[in-house]
Amino acid sequence: MDLILQATVNGILMGSIYGLTALGLTLIFGVIKVINFAHGSLLMVGMYTAYWLILLTGINPYLALIIVVPLLFFFGYYMQEIVIKPVFKAERDVREPITVIIVTTGVWYVLDNLSLILFGAEYRVVKTGLSGKTFLLGELIVSAPKFYGFVATIVTAVLLYLFLKKTRMGKAIIATSFDRDAASLMGINQYRIYNIAFGIGTATAGVAGCVLIPFYYVFPTVGVIFDIRCFIIVVLGGLGSIHGAVLGGIIIGVIESVFAQFMASTWTEGIIYAIFILILFIKPSGLFGARQDW
Amino acid sequence: MGKRKIWQDVSISIFAFLLVCSLVFFTGTLAQAGPKVVKIGNIIPLSGPSASVGVQGKNVREMAVEEINNAGGIKSLGGAKLKMIYVDSKSDPTVGVTAAERLINTNKVHILTGCWNSAVTYPTTQVAERYGIPFIVPVSVRDTITERGFKYTFRVAAKDSWWTRDQILFLRDMEKEFNVKVKTLALVYENGDWGTGFAAGWKKLAKKYGYQVVLDEPYPSTASDLAPVVMKMKKANADVIMLVSNAADAILLTNTMVEFKVNAKAIIASGGGHADPKFLENCKKNADYIFDEVEWETDVGKPGAKETNEKFNKRYGYNLTGESVDAYASMYVIADALERAGSLDPKKLRDAFAATKLDSGPAMIISYDSIEFDKDGQNKNAGIVIVQIRELNGKMDRISVWPKGARRAGYTPVFPMPAR
Amino acid sequence: MKIGLNRKTTNYLLLFLAIIFVFIIPLFLKSPTYLQIMILLFFYAYLTTSWNLVGGFAGVLPLGHSAFVGIGAYTSTILYLHYGLSPWIGMFAGGLLAALVGVIIGKPTFQMRGAYFALTTIAIGEGIRVMVENINKIGPFTVNGPRGLLIPLKGTSFVNFQFLSKIPYYYIILTMLIIVLGITYIISRRRIGYYLAGGGEEPEAAQALGVNVAKYKLIAMAISCFLTAMAGTFYAQLMLYFYPKGILGLDLSFEIAFIALIGGRGTIAGPILGALVLRPVNEFSRIYLSGFLPGLHLVIFGLILIIVMIYQPRGIQEPLSKVYNLFVDKLEACLISRGRKKDEIS
Repeated sequence: MDLILQATVNGILMGSIYGLTALGLTLIFGVIKVINFAHGSLLMVGMYTAYWLILLTGINPYLALIIVVPLLFFFGYYMQEIVIKPVFKAERDVREPITVIIVTTGVWYVLDNLSLILFGAEYRVVKTGLSGKTFLLGELIVSAPKFYGFVATIVTAVLLYLFLKKTRMGKAIIATSFDRDAASLMGINQYRIYNIAFGIGTATAGVAGCVLIPFYYVFPTVGVIFDIRCFIIVVLGGLGSIHGAVLGGIIIGVIESVFAQFMASTWTEGIIYAIFILILFIKPSGLFGARQDW
Repeated sequence: MGKRKIWQDVSISIFAFLLVCSLVFFTGTLAQAGPKVVKIGNIIPLSGPSASVGVQGKNVREMAVEEINNAGGIKSLGGAKLKMIYVDSKSDPTVGVTAAERLINTNKVHILTGCWNSAVTYPTTQVAERYGIPFIVPVSVRDTITERGFKYTFRVAAKDSWWTRDQILFLRDMEKEFNVKVKTLALVYENGDWGTGFAAGWKKLAKKYGYQVVLDEPYPSTASDLAPVVMKMKKANADVIMLVSNAADAILLTNTMVEFKVNAKAIIASGGGHADPKFLENCKKNADYIFDEVEWETDVGKPGAKETNEKFNKRYGYNLTGESVDAYASMYVIADALERAGSLDPKKLRDAFAATKLDSGPAMIISYDSIEFDKDGQNKNAGIVIVQIRELNGKMDRISVWPKGARRAGYTPVFPMPAR
Repeated sequence: MKIGLNRKTTNYLLLFLAIIFVFIIPLFLKSPTYLQIMILLFFYAYLTTSWNLVGGFAGVLPLGHSAFVGIGAYTSTILYLHYGLSPWIGMFAGGLLAALVGVIIGKPTFQMRGAYFALTTIAIGEGIRVMVENINKIGPFTVNGPRGLLIPLKGTSFVNFQFLSKIPYYYIILTMLIIVLGITYIISRRRIGYYLAGGGEEPEAAQALGVNVAKYKLIAMAISCFLTAMAGTFYAQLMLYFYPKGILGLDLSFEIAFIALIGGRGTIAGPILGALVLRPVNEFSRIYLSGFLPGLHLVIFGLILIIVMIYQPRGIQEPLSKVYNLFVDKLEACLISRGRKKDEIS
């Protein structure tokens, strides 16, 4: 029984980190209605940035946030501006606006393989002050970097929520996500909003990168592993729902961790896909999302 | 309107350009001018999860070929030099197969080597068999590679059933030597070709020798979190843990096992990721006491081994591993066969390979005494060695411990390992 | 002498010449490597054309089609390895199974729109891959999990669908491609084609007119899956080896979809053009560049995706067909004026 508890704790911690990686995606998905297949690659960019910073300067991964987050924000901002905006404009007369999916897939291929060319295929691990540290919670062993990741997730989610609900910019983003034409009638520049939303989404991937580096490894296609999970979490939690992303992530993490105790871990991947398919059929708006006219 | 026209022009030009390129490449053949040269195609993983070992394989081949060419090349072919062509397999069997076809038909290589990943070697050797080109396999262990009655496949490494057999024999020897009884095994392995092959071997042997398998856990090599697997290991509480891992998951698994204080009488790994220099670099003390199985270790008591290793280390910055030594020896096997064949005719080459009895020269840094192929192309003398990873004088070291004859002088293995 | 040329005749004439040309290529292209490149080109053109029936004509974006390639390959190979059944028959068995699976999947999935449909197909495709990777045996049949299936070398044997030379493979896939193109053409000209097009663009309007859009989508799906699976068998017999990641993976699904999209989905020439342009780029950049810049061919592929989608979301068949028309116009003008000159002289 106590093993199940341990597995659950691990699942909650790891799951919250999955949720953190998915936060950006749900924001982008919910506001801009863009399926960003390049999200995993953005996470990869965040991880490499954190990796090189820590390797070269020995900085604490959480201090590295100061540099990584703004960097990724601008990366996302300009990606939306240069690559995705033109597609929106060109797509007015084409049936089914799925062109964006293809464009973001193109970005994914380009980013992943550029980093393959630049950094090589090897798996890179960097030791930080946090790596390998654990502490005891009663009888339970808790991994320190994962715990800090959990904290970072909650903090980021709360900050994001406050930003959206309390600041003018945040409210403008929400307004645009509901009805972009009405919003522009109100004087909101919808494309600028999109850029900012994309920037914020990418910045959260940067946070996730800093969080993952102390205990995971980075390589050019690391994004692919998290990418699919992110989509599952976003759909599970509901498009555009911040708490949905975090909770969805935790659910996935717990399932992965606990179910693995009863079957080979290679099957848990299948279970997660099965759940994904079920959600898509039964309640596509997810646990906390609003109804969409998809 | 203007934009449309420009786009039209651009598209016409691109189309024309591509057409021209296609025509050029279609009609062109790669003519080889110059003195006689022996072309060897090498299909190894230069990207993907096995990139790190693939690059080691390339480096050691380069070193061997340089030595051979500088010593005068193949004398019976008028001093012909060896020319190496490398193709990245990406650990993908389809790429391997297409690469082999291209190397044989377009580059017209005389010999092929590769592919490290058994899953790639298995179908790629069939291509060579189809076209009748000798294929030397330095490293891949899957049994069936040399169990198909092929005439053109020659494997230098041991079969994976020999690897698993020797791991269990080692275990039994340790039980006897230290008077410790082992009853239960946990099998944790990457769920690819390699891992599942070993697992099948272990299960058969466990049955034979009366060990109880309390955990059979394949895991995806690219898993984002191995804590669930480690928790299962802790719960199973087996006497001995058997592992098969690639580099990144070996590191993750080892570190997580220490985090969760997983204890066992012994942990026995199977080379590959555990033998990768990056593993020790990243795990350091966490890897203490782990047993690893390889075909060669730096402290093997063979003349020339130390010097060759130092030469390699100086050039590339890390030590030779069992796999690199296999590749190194394979290049000398090739040079030896070419020398005896005195011809580039594939059939004559094949017969020369089949008659190999290499027991002298730089290749003899291997842990056994001669390379000979049986009628299935399998090196019948291939042997393995078990090492223990220990921290000695502040550094992590890999120390040969088995077979008893290969044990490093003055060292007694630690069995069982102390509790965490 | 007057040459009575109109656009239709010219088109047929050029098409005829193109087919003749493609059939006689093996007579002067002897290198097995280049034949292989052509074979793979036709193979992808075949796959994308089959995909086009659903992804182009039915207007949805299936991103899990490699599942059907896999079903075809596994079915015919398992039947062959276990019962010695000729892969030719296994091919049809695989096709039928794939069509069945496709309909079962399609029925609930077609109710979704756009992005959700795409995500579902991805999830189903990956789900199937994970399942196959974890299964060693289904009953008495060996599936071999992640290790894949190897077909033993038997030399040239028509019954066993194996040939030592590339040439038979070339003609087989070429014939399959022409058949598939023919099927696509027929469908586009008949009612079902119009129903699909309508159902894709304006489903509500189509339904208001009494068109059972769902039924026709399923028919298209069944045909598409059947044809796709047959390509899976062809591939298995060409390579004599396949494994889950290679034949059931996202990479293949995405490549099929994107070639069609870049070429221009919903058109007949689109998928072929896409394959014609992208496959050589893929192959040659992999051959010549991967040695020192691994992955560059994917960077190029990604960039092409982005650029084409920004500037030509309907695919490159749009500008290319304009080029084609220009060319044909010039050709006609040339021939007509020559005919006139002859008249003047005589």
